[in-house]
Amino acid sequence: MSKNTGASRFRKVNVDQYDEDCYQDDDNDDGEQGPSESEVQDLLQKNKSSDALKVVLNNAPLATKNQQVKDRALNLTLRVLTSFKTPDIDNAVKSLDSKNIDILMKYIYRGMERAQDSNTSALLTWHEKTFAVGGLGSIMRVLTDRKKV
Amino acid sequence: MAATLKPYLNAVRNTVTAAMCVQNFDSQVVERHNKPEVETKSSKELLLQPVIISRNEKEKVLIEGSINSLRISIAIKQADEIEKILCHKFMRFMMMRAENFFILRRKPVDGYNISFLITNFHSEQMYKHKLVDFLITYMEEIDKEINEMKLAVNSRARISAEEFLKHF
Amino acid sequence: MAEKHNFGIQPVTCHTFNKDRSGLALSLNSSEVKIYKKNGSKWQPTSSLQEHGQRVTSIDWAANSNKIVTCGADRNAYVWTMNSDGTWKPNLVILRINRAATFVKWSPNEKKFAVGSGARLISVSYYEEDNNWWVSKHIKKPIRSTVTCLDWHPNSVLIAAGSTDFKARVFSGYIKEYDPKPEACSWGSKMPWGALMAEHSNGSGGWVHSVSFSPSGDRLVWVGHDSSVNVVDAAKGATLTSVKGNFLPFKSVTWVTENSLVAAGYDCNPTVFTYDDAGKLTLINKLDQSQEKAAGTMSAMNRFKNFDTRATSGDSTSELKTQHQNTITEIGIYSGTKADCTKFSTSGVDGNIIIWDIKSLEKSIAGLKIA
Repeated sequence: MSKNTGASRFRKVNVDQYDEDCYQDDDNDDGEQGPSESEVQDLLQKNKSSDALKVVLNNAPLATKNQQVKDRALNLTLRVLTSFKTPDIDNAVKSLDSKNIDILMKYIYRGMERAQDSNTSALLTWHEKTFAVGGLGSIMRVLTDRKKV
Repeated sequence: MAATLKPYLNAVRNTVTAAMCVQNFDSQVVERHNKPEVETKSSKELLLQPVIISRNEKEKVLIEGSINSLRISIAIKQADEIEKILCHKFMRFMMMRAENFFILRRKPVDGYNISFLITNFHSEQMYKHKLVDFLITYMEEIDKEINEMKLAVNSRARISAEEFLKHF
Repeated sequence: MAEKHNFGIQPVTCHTFNKDRSGLALSLNSSEVKIYKKNGSKWQPTSSLQEHGQRVTSIDWAANSNKIVTCGADRNAYVWTMNSDGTWKPNLVILRINRAATFVKWSPNEKKFAVGSGARLISVSYYEEDNNWWVSKHIKKPIRSTVTCLDWHPNSVLIAAGSTDFKARVFSGYIKEYDPKPEACSWGSKMPWGALMAEHSNGSGGWVHSVSFSPSGDRLVWVGHDSSVNVVDAAKGATLTSVKGNFLPFKSVTWVTENSLVAAGYDCNPTVFTYDDAGKLTLINKLDQSQEKAAGTMSAMNRFKNFDTRATSGDSTSELKTQHQNTITEIGIYSGTKADCTKFSTSGVDGNIIIWDIKSLEKSIAGLKIA
């Protein structure tokens, strides 16, 4: 047998990733920081949940690949969402524009990924109300969007 | 607890309806082949973002979509040991007969109890809205069946224990 | 208002009409192409073309030269010419692709046709007289994934292509030895072979399902899997307008006048949009507003009958309220041209081809005006 059979690490290389013809995701902007915690805390304490929601959605860190920034933003958003009382959710959702409805849907699904007994029923209510405004199109955009929230 | 069931099932219904927009797509990796992309995961641009809808920590549904297929995995509520055994046996019973089920997958995805694989061929032969109805009915029925079986097991156990202990 | 023609339970993968709409060629999810002839108000099958080894993915019938081009998942395309006795003779096209062909379209001057494929390229074929066969040239860069749809510009040189890498692109299909030199148009003046004239991204995701040039060639519309309809107007600085709606994604779109377009897809309902000169794209209406099926109360007798035969006690119908019972896969112009369409046809996964009459729809649906 030839001596060359000793080296077999090359067999485990995934050659498909080096194929230039394949689709590659676009480059990311690592500069995004997400919503500012202090601002959101402030608004929550003043009971201005609706404004806090707008701040959090407008500054959603979609372009960056930094997982910590995304996690921080997610925690903030979940806090804002759970701070709402059920009858207020309706008005809050109606006041959002379509881009923010899509981002809100993304956050709702991400929130359900790390389910905790405390907030799943709130998230399900949010899902129902957002769906009433955004329709199946907003769910399609959560599924197809390559930029995760 | 029961109050979250309706919104949970509605959320699942809407998400599955959205993910069930599949089309016939020949493989771009192997010539003349047509494979469900959600299983082969050969090209990342053909896959959709997976989403999870959860009712609580134990009960959730994972929906993974792609251009020609979708995979739905369900984690069923198993509160105690006996429910775990019943659930496991029940799911195994169905998965062994997956061929007759058409849309059932023989092995569940890691972390879930049962998985369905729906391809474009299924959506061509069957109505999409009926497939969604089936999935929702299935999720409702499973819980009921497992509860019934648990009651049946307990009552049988009680009766047989009574009979046995009558001798003493 | 809408004529429905049923062709069985298999999905109609693709369909195309001949020039005077007396002939229809379609494929029912198989490797066979069926040709029908119009007999009164019904379609009678006349011939069956069986050269393809695998499923036929797209058919196009050239109006003037009466040639049919078909392409399939077996990586082949055939050009069919009609013999004097009415039968069709196939001519194999050497596409040189190594994956399935997904879409084929004749150029408006019917001298060339373009084939999109899973090999990440567009194959443009033209007829070489000396050797009596169809030869192809490839457009590869910068396509990164399967090409799903194509459309030709009225000048028969530019090709718009949508792909599963989320981009809609306009390429030049100018073949130096074969085509006359094209004039400058709103997409550019220099059009060497394979040049990328424009590339637009479909937002941050969503495969492009269908593209269409407007009758003048200045505007391009495409529909994506993220439930969006996007229009770009090259004559007005190529700004992108898009509508992201509440509907399920569309599979096919076409212009019916210079300012209006009809899209149809997973909602099973053709929808009209208008794009005005200011660049605003608005959803006007869905065209399939069939009367709500009279859901009258069921008599006790019927209830028991239902229970007996179907084990359901409810008034459950499994039919959808729309005319198409499953996804609409293709829209084509039936009467008129892209500039002033009066009727269009839709084919769907339910095995139906439905011909919609725009004029009578305009009358019956309040507020619907197709400019």
